[in-house]
Amino acid sequence: MTSISPSTTAPLETRALSMAYGERSIIEGLNLRLPAGQVTAIVGPNGCGKSTLLAGLARLQKPSGGAVLLDGKAIGSLPTREVARRLALLPQDASAPEGLTVAELIRFGRQPHQGLFQQWSENDQRIIESALRAADLVELAERPLESMSGGQRQRAWIAMAIAQDTPLLLLDEPTSALDLGHQIEVFELIRQLAEAGKTIVMVVHDLSSACRYADHLVAMKDGRLLAEGAPSQVVTAGLVEALYGVCCTLMSDPLSGTPVIVGASRARRHEAAGT
Amino acid sequence: MSIPTTPPGHGVLRTGRHSLLWHRRSATVGMALAAMLLLSLVFCLTSGDLGMGEALAALLGRGDEMQTLLVRELRLPRLLAGLLSGAALGAAGCLMQTLARNRLATPGMVGIDNGATAFAVASIVAVPTTLAPSALALSGAATAAALTFVLAAGAGARGYRFIVVGLGIGALFGAATNLMLARADIDAANAAYPWTVGSLNARPALAVWLLAGGLALGLPLAKLLARALMLMRFSDSVAIGLGVRLSAMRAATLALSVALTGLAVAVAGPVGLVALIAPEVARYLGGRHGVPVLNAALAGALLTLLADWLGRTLLAPVEIPVGIVMAVIGAPYLLWIILRQPAGRQP
Repeated sequence: MTSISPSTTAPLETRALSMAYGERSIIEGLNLRLPAGQVTAIVGPNGCGKSTLLAGLARLQKPSGGAVLLDGKAIGSLPTREVARRLALLPQDASAPEGLTVAELIRFGRQPHQGLFQQWSENDQRIIESALRAADLVELAERPLESMSGGQRQRAWIAMAIAQDTPLLLLDEPTSALDLGHQIEVFELIRQLAEAGKTIVMVVHDLSSACRYADHLVAMKDGRLLAEGAPSQVVTAGLVEALYGVCCTLMSDPLSGTPVIVGASRARRHEAAGT
Repeated sequence: MSIPTTPPGHGVLRTGRHSLLWHRRSATVGMALAAMLLLSLVFCLTSGDLGMGEALAALLGRGDEMQTLLVRELRLPRLLAGLLSGAALGAAGCLMQTLARNRLATPGMVGIDNGATAFAVASIVAVPTTLAPSALALSGAATAAALTFVLAAGAGARGYRFIVVGLGIGALFGAATNLMLARADIDAANAAYPWTVGSLNARPALAVWLLAGGLALGLPLAKLLARALMLMRFSDSVAIGLGVRLSAMRAATLALSVALTGLAVAVAGPVGLVALIAPEVARYLGGRHGVPVLNAALAGALLTLLADWLGRTLLAPVEIPVGIVMAVIGAPYLLWIILRQPAGRQP
């Protein structure tokens, strides 16, 4: 993957963003610009605030300070339906009412574009068809969601987000409960959407996957930004140790050329490095 | 596999930029329920030795004096009271079940009926006021709802916490009602009795009119909420992601459900089991599609009319209050419905 320098337009950015749960501060003063048309992966250890950041970016949670800007405007000041036409979200806890078929789920993605007297247009039809095709679900369209494998179900949720027809797509750990084959299935779909021009932001647990599938990496620890940039440039043994407190060797993937972590073990100088 | 041009099972009406989509089975069920409702109205109006023509004439005020009195003063108000309160409770139950994502979370279960009853009984036996019991029933419903809502911690109220707090509030008001009845003299207790079981006999006209107005406003409002209600069945983050103003929509749903319940209980007393059964009937007939507020209202109206008719005829001339009939036929039916489906299914 070629590393492109972040383009100047950023459809989504944060200005001195702070997020908190009650008194407990999770993120403090974060400035981020998420490059248009690229896949950004947010990585970091458990509890570093990456999911909270995504919740802020998706206006699920109000910031305690600063702002999230969507196309230059504070996201909290925009009507939430308007936001839903520009930004789609696949949360980690996505759940649907029982008995829904794949096609029914995907049709809900059209909700932000429909109105009281615009309940079904040919455009809706066309977009749903292309979402089914993009996620390779045409054959499964009438199957109930519960009867599908984890990977298929996750593809159905992504297809719903595709049907929302937004330039921006946010995903919170889209592969967390999936085995290797299904992980790759989902990541390749995400890549394909990025090639088609979508701006994608995803929280990813596994650093190697993030390096492999993202153009832009945002590394966080304790609610602060540790590093940002193309994976092959920012990921170093030092960064891995600072993030996760482990010593490792970095190798280059012989096929993709992206960094791969090998020989990770607990860092001896953990305390010294941590302070 | 080719993809059909309208979603399977749906019909679509299109003119220019405007389009309406409806679920065929739900629409059919709605029409069938409405037809049955009309039939049972005619049946109840014309029962006894009154013919169809005579009943119609009496209804329009052209029959003889006796028949006009029978139809316009006795039968019609009672039928309207039953129909309207059943419809309101059915819709209110469907709304609250969706809000709490739990089929047991109906207004009666979370203490609203009991609140209304306690206030109405208090006005008769304990604290004599000039206010009509039905006005107090309404304020009792609002008080119980507010208490449940506040104690269950605000707008996020849903699931078990909401139900458990509601059960507690309901028990509290139930106990208060019993205490007042135990201490009251026998005449006052008798006067208060219909308020404790739910009855459609000689209901106050003003309360019926208020309920009719509430339904005329409330049902279209519920229809407007329908899209948000459907999305409320997903996890919160999905609903917000699809552009639902979740806390505003929840507050509106709760307010509507409480208002409809309060107005209905002010007319009929605590026949709240309708709110539990009517949405089940609507879902059972209409399939799992969507949130059937209107069909639940129709089913509630039909059930209440049937229960009242049974109560009047089963042991005639002794009359069984509609609330008791509802409990006797409703409870086993509800058990059957819950047992034949896997536990824990969302509404």
